[in-house]
Amino acid sequence: MRPAPSSGALLLRALLAAIPIFALSFGVLLVNRVEPRLFGIPFLFCWIAAWVLLTPAFLWTIGRVERRW
Amino acid sequence: MNGITALAIVAVIVFGTIAFALLAVRGVKMSPEQYIVGGRSFGAIFLWVLQAGEIYTTFTFLGVAGLAYSQGAPALYVVAYGTIAYIIAYFLAPAVWRVGKDNNLLTNADFFENRYNSRALGVGVALLSFVMIVPYVTIQLSGLQILLRIAGYGAYNATAAVIVGFLVMALFVFSAGLRGTAWASVVKDILVLGAVLFAGVAIPMHFFGSPLGLFERVLQTHPHMLTLPPAGVFHGTLWYASSVLLSALGFYVGPQTFNSVYSARSGDALRRNAIYLPIYQIVAALMVFAGLSAALINPGLTGPNVDQSFMLVVQRYFPSWILGLVAGAGALAALVPASALLLAASSVITKNVFGDAFGVATSDRARTRLTRIIVVVVAVLALGIWMIAQKTVVELLLLYYNGITQFFPGVVAAFVWKRANAWGVGLGILAGVSIAVPLAALNIFPLGMNGGFVGLLANVVVLILVSLVTRRESG
Repeated sequence: MRPAPSSGALLLRALLAAIPIFALSFGVLLVNRVEPRLFGIPFLFCWIAAWVLLTPAFLWTIGRVERRW
Repeated sequence: MNGITALAIVAVIVFGTIAFALLAVRGVKMSPEQYIVGGRSFGAIFLWVLQAGEIYTTFTFLGVAGLAYSQGAPALYVVAYGTIAYIIAYFLAPAVWRVGKDNNLLTNADFFENRYNSRALGVGVALLSFVMIVPYVTIQLSGLQILLRIAGYGAYNATAAVIVGFLVMALFVFSAGLRGTAWASVVKDILVLGAVLFAGVAIPMHFFGSPLGLFERVLQTHPHMLTLPPAGVFHGTLWYASSVLLSALGFYVGPQTFNSVYSARSGDALRRNAIYLPIYQIVAALMVFAGLSAALINPGLTGPNVDQSFMLVVQRYFPSWILGLVAGAGALAALVPASALLLAASSVITKNVFGDAFGVATSDRARTRLTRIIVVVVAVLALGIWMIAQKTVVELLLLYYNGITQFFPGVVAAFVWKRANAWGVGLGILAGVSIAVPLAALNIFPLGMNGGFVGLLANVVVLILVSLVTRRESG
């Protein structure tokens, strides 16, 4: 067994998980618009695509916080 | 003539894949553990292939395009919920795996029975899993029928072909088990990726000059499709957010996902897997592009016909061999997940209902044999229901998630709340299902929210209250 994580690490881990979950669910209510477009793609589409692509980085960072890799 | 070319390609792809998978599992001895959970030996990559294989179904292939075709932006909910599901999976899947490994569990119902020390709860979960899997299998059959009818240019009776194709798949599961499904997924994932790149990149380029030219055209002709409708209406922002969360929570508690989680070699294999899986969401995003393209190229489809949108574009504007390849990939997207679903449904019935509740087929040999027989029985049952059901692919999927997500509070409570007991979890599931399923079946959306979400809230409240007033049964 690895040593129990500190409360700071636990909080950071919860935050790292909560941010993309919020951004992809209720967060979308804040960005439900076409403009500004990036490379012609509507903002809502860009927002969701960006968070999908960022999620692996968030999960990998959680693994680092947990000292798994 | 064209129809024969395309259908022949579909047949070669389907039977070729089955032959390949059967060869790959040749000589593997089928104990129940091997047959149902692959001997708990899959590493991160094989697991990724299996999970992508069973997660990206004909729903991703046809349903996402259909929803984008008819509504536009609301189809993005699929891209979002899968991603959130992997975040949850990062934490939940290794914990579930550990319990499964330590206690030799085979099914999702085993998990409930073991954690809450209640056989009755295990049997209840098994029966509900079985009932909810049937609409999910039905989705695959509806998808397969659409693909075969279009590949035959409408000239052949697709119903007969669906029945033949599906029974062949049932016989495949009968002999090859979960490991066979994983090998079939290897072929399926590669072909589906090719078909999706064609649908989401090549089609927009062919008609609009570039994938981005598509958005320019949609903005001119259907600007409302590029944002979500307001809160409070069907497909509006609240529907989106509640459907995303509901489906994400339900994602890893379905009986077939328990099988694939148990099949992992280690908890870290599941964690790495959760990190890579969001990348596969590109597939769903490209199908949104394909659906929007079809809305511009071939407008006018309504009701359940929207699921045909992008396949009709392929049929009308591209040669029959391309149609055959795309439809073949789609047919695998229906059949490979269906094989995992059949296996999961039969394993809960064999293990938790026949075995635990009635004491039938408890030896290893008898259990594998009964699971195999029930695979075929479930297949025939699903065919029967499919022939009378008339819903779009998306509606059927939401029906499935409305029921299956009700398992989520009980799975999480097993790890985070010691006072949760079988009464609380069981009555919570019952409350959730009896609210969520009627709302979904009747298309009622309280405050514009997905009905399953309302059921889930009731489920959690009942779980907490009942657990507080009843005593945890021994242990």
